[in-house]
Amino acid sequence: MKFLDHLEEWLIATLMGLATTIVFLSVAHRYLSGFAIPHLQDWLLTMDVSWSQEVTIIMFVWMAKFGAAYGVRTGIHVGVDVLINRMQPKLRAKFVLFGLGAGALFTALVAILGAQLCWHSGLEHFAYTLFGLPSDAFGGSTKPDTGWPVWAVYLAIPLGSSLMCFRFIQVAVAFLRTGELPHHDHGHVDGLDEEMEVGK
Amino acid sequence: MSALIIFSLLLVLMLTGMPISISLGLTVLTFMFTMTTTPPVEVAHKLFTGIENFGVMAIPFFILAGNFLTHGGVAARMIRFATSMVGHMHGGLGLAGVLACALFAAVSGSSPATVVAIGSILLPAMVKAGFPKRFGAGVITTSGALGILIPPSIVMVMYSIATNTSVGALFMAGVIPGLILATMLGMTTWYLARKNGYPRLAKASWPQRLRAFRESIWGLLLIVVVIGGIYGGIFTPTEAAAVSAVYAFFIAVFVYKDLKMSDVPRVLLSSANLSAMLLYIITNAVMFSFILTDQQIPQTLAEWMLAQGLGPIAFLLAVNILLLIAGNFMEPSSIVLIMAPILFPIAMRMGINPVHFGILITVNMEVGMCHPPVGLNMYVASGVAKMGITELTIAVWPWLLTMLVFLGFVTYMPEMSLWLPRVLGMVQ
Repeated sequence: MKFLDHLEEWLIATLMGLATTIVFLSVAHRYLSGFAIPHLQDWLLTMDVSWSQEVTIIMFVWMAKFGAAYGVRTGIHVGVDVLINRMQPKLRAKFVLFGLGAGALFTALVAILGAQLCWHSGLEHFAYTLFGLPSDAFGGSTKPDTGWPVWAVYLAIPLGSSLMCFRFIQVAVAFLRTGELPHHDHGHVDGLDEEMEVGK
Repeated sequence: MSALIIFSLLLVLMLTGMPISISLGLTVLTFMFTMTTTPPVEVAHKLFTGIENFGVMAIPFFILAGNFLTHGGVAARMIRFATSMVGHMHGGLGLAGVLACALFAAVSGSSPATVVAIGSILLPAMVKAGFPKRFGAGVITTSGALGILIPPSIVMVMYSIATNTSVGALFMAGVIPGLILATMLGMTTWYLARKNGYPRLAKASWPQRLRAFRESIWGLLLIVVVIGGIYGGIFTPTEAAAVSAVYAFFIAVFVYKDLKMSDVPRVLLSSANLSAMLLYIITNAVMFSFILTDQQIPQTLAEWMLAQGLGPIAFLLAVNILLLIAGNFMEPSSIVLIMAPILFPIAMRMGINPVHFGILITVNMEVGMCHPPVGLNMYVASGVAKMGITELTIAVWPWLLTMLVFLGFVTYMPEMSLWLPRVLGMVQ
């Protein structure tokens, strides 16, 4: 379980950092290759960076799907709680569980639909040929710039949504046991402990 | 009829307290399964293609840039600069609070974080200097919201996603209203302070001001990088966001040294957390607006309104009231993503400029952050100031009223928003 938590955190933080670096480098590349610096310009011009935008988008979609699951664990997905917060604790608990259950239901449905989508857009063909079976299923298309198979890119939906469903169940179980929900602090700021003299 | 079903379902699901993204998603799925023949796999497909858009990626980049600079050290620099500039006038520290909030909010991109960062430093100092706590809390709570009007603004990116309006034009359009609102909040502060004889600081010398300016300039240049980069055609808004994220990283780690390299993974993770939540709302909201368009709901609504003889003036008034009410229950991103696709087509039929309409919605979101019962700024401010929500409600009213007057200006004086982007050739 700890391993899954760390993998999730590591994956989304890495995707975030990598995507930023890629876009930054592609902008730097575009401008640097415009300057007539000997050798550097020739070298830069031989590089093909047309894939950068597509890769960034794919990375962010994966980051979004797994990050949404992480967000259930950190309690960042907020709802309209003015009504239920005025209820008796017992009734409120029922509504909280209903909400978490609805989250689990929706993410489970999306995971199933997403798996179907992947299966029909090339995963079926891939799986059959992998095991040496004849396949007449649709081979699937590829992404225009990177040439990556679309079904592999779409795998983010069933994988991320399954994980998210699991997290909703996890939070619901923890709520049943302890009565506590994860809570995200939107106003958290680091480095405020130092005393500061204002107006001196 | 289908409109009624869709909206009642959404409303009921939302009121149970489940995440807004989930209630949007469940509404869409229920509607699709029961009332249309669209294959459900389409839903999964939309979940991917909904955010498969380079423009959307500006959001995580801007969040990352803001998070690198959301630090007490940056807040302290902004406060030092602000006090050295305006501390000697009536309202002293309070006026400096407005300016520091405007600067920090623009750079950090988060209203609640601004209230916490500026408030934690400035409020104790104000109380010590002899200001009533209410005054300080009122200033910080409302000024903290200035950030979403001054570029870069996530709420504006959300609006541009929902309505296909140019992010660059929206950013430019926000500049002048942002400055005017900051001035108006400052004037309210100045007037109240003068009337009550609150303390002023000694006038800072120009070398002191210059030193404070040199310290804060690195953070402020982030705004210049974004606006200048987009306007100068150097990069697209998304690229500007990514460049500003790298710039913010460089400043935080190597220039300000507020962060160590070992802090970077934590900043990446918390930015990914917030971005993923927003992107999740976007995907579900995109599906939702797809259903609305599919059922021709905004068009029908527009026809009906025109048939009632409703003109732009009455329509904009209704929009303001609707959004202010919505601001009581939801946070800005969700409101923009749900409301904009419905209201935008009507606004277009009425001949309202899309950029002006975006600024109007953004100002509404600003007001919504500062009033009870769920203004996020109120909540964090009550924590920082250790005041109850009721007391804080009384504390903010002079500034809240100022904001409402300003909302009136923005609503009925489109030129205020449109002048700068027009001069720059970004809108007709």
